[in-house]
Amino acid sequence: MSSAEEALSADEPLDDTDLSLLDGIRGMFQVADPMPADLPERIRFRLALRDLEVEVARLTEEQELAGIRGAELSRTITFDSDSLTIMIRIDANRDGTVRIDGWLAPAQLRELELKTAPESLRVSSDDQGRFAFARVPRGTAQLMVRPAEPGPDEAGPDGAGRSVVTPALIL
Amino acid sequence: MAVDDRGPGTVRTGFPDRGERIAGLVREARQGSEEALGQIVTELTPMLWQVARAAGLSAGDAEDVVQTVWMRLIAHLDDIHTSAALTGWLVITARREAWRVRAAGRKHFPAESESFDALPAREPGSEEQVIIDDQRRTLWGAISQLSGRCQELLRIIAFVPRPDYAAVAAELGMPIGSIGPTRGRCLAKLRVLLACTLEGDDVLG
Repeated sequence: MSSAEEALSADEPLDDTDLSLLDGIRGMFQVADPMPADLPERIRFRLALRDLEVEVARLTEEQELAGIRGAELSRTITFDSDSLTIMIRIDANRDGTVRIDGWLAPAQLRELELKTAPESLRVSSDDQGRFAFARVPRGTAQLMVRPAEPGPDEAGPDGAGRSVVTPALIL
Repeated sequence: MAVDDRGPGTVRTGFPDRGERIAGLVREARQGSEEALGQIVTELTPMLWQVARAAGLSAGDAEDVVQTVWMRLIAHLDDIHTSAALTGWLVITARREAWRVRAAGRKHFPAESESFDALPAREPGSEEQVIIDDQRRTLWGAISQLSGRCQELLRIIAFVPRPDYAAVAAELGMPIGSIGPTRGRCLAKLRVLLACTLEGDDVLG
């Protein structure tokens, strides 16, 4: 059988069969080698920070503890940067959100912003370095610690005013 | 009432032209819109992931390369005015960067031809969450008989927005006909392989 396919020319324009083959190839690789689902979000976050002088904190410790209600787990996570240690504790709320309590060391007044997919939440730490986000939607979140009093000369020469950002967390 | 209008998203009247939309986003991003830039990232990162992985990078290296490419785009945004120019620039830059990273850590990587075979088409251990139908399996079988270069090329083109095929194909060294992108050797070869496998055209729809 002299198949018509044998006569296919490489120089012909793409036809519908070629296009549906490319669709098939795309579907195949989406299954075989999927991109990490949160990669675009993490890149967007990094891009948004590009003009800021920020320190990126490293995750140094993570623990899961049995929560008060038994089934619920509580996580504690510690991040370190050159100027700051950030500890947070994540507990589940009954409504499906989570609560985050955190401490900054050394203790200091700072503005904190928690970026989540739907919104950015803002709180301030007290003079003990404590802060809390009462209701945070689940999903990816990233914490940014900013200078306490944003002003024209917020980044002090001693580095005390530098912003610190954590890697993305999955809540 | 023929139309269900109970809520947003229940009526989809058309498929927005992806090229037009990306071109609009590029324009806004050039004017400083962070949101537009973010949407471009969401739109085209899946393509860049495949470009990096097709070059044989580990998942971690692929992530780094994709991020590097986006950071670098910021400096070039002023020179880019169309979706095709953007897509072409991204693909070529990602490919070059992936080669650079791969060359730097060559000892960690298998021979080029193995990278495709190593992808998990079916993992015996995984409880077959993914239904890989006969069609996909046939396609996989045929593609794995192509040269490494054809495999990489088709994998990249498959993730390029359709209106930009011609521009990207040209950047990758595929010949372009007078009226648009041609099938090229790789697709022609793939169709012959599929035809041989199937003794028919049914899988091609």
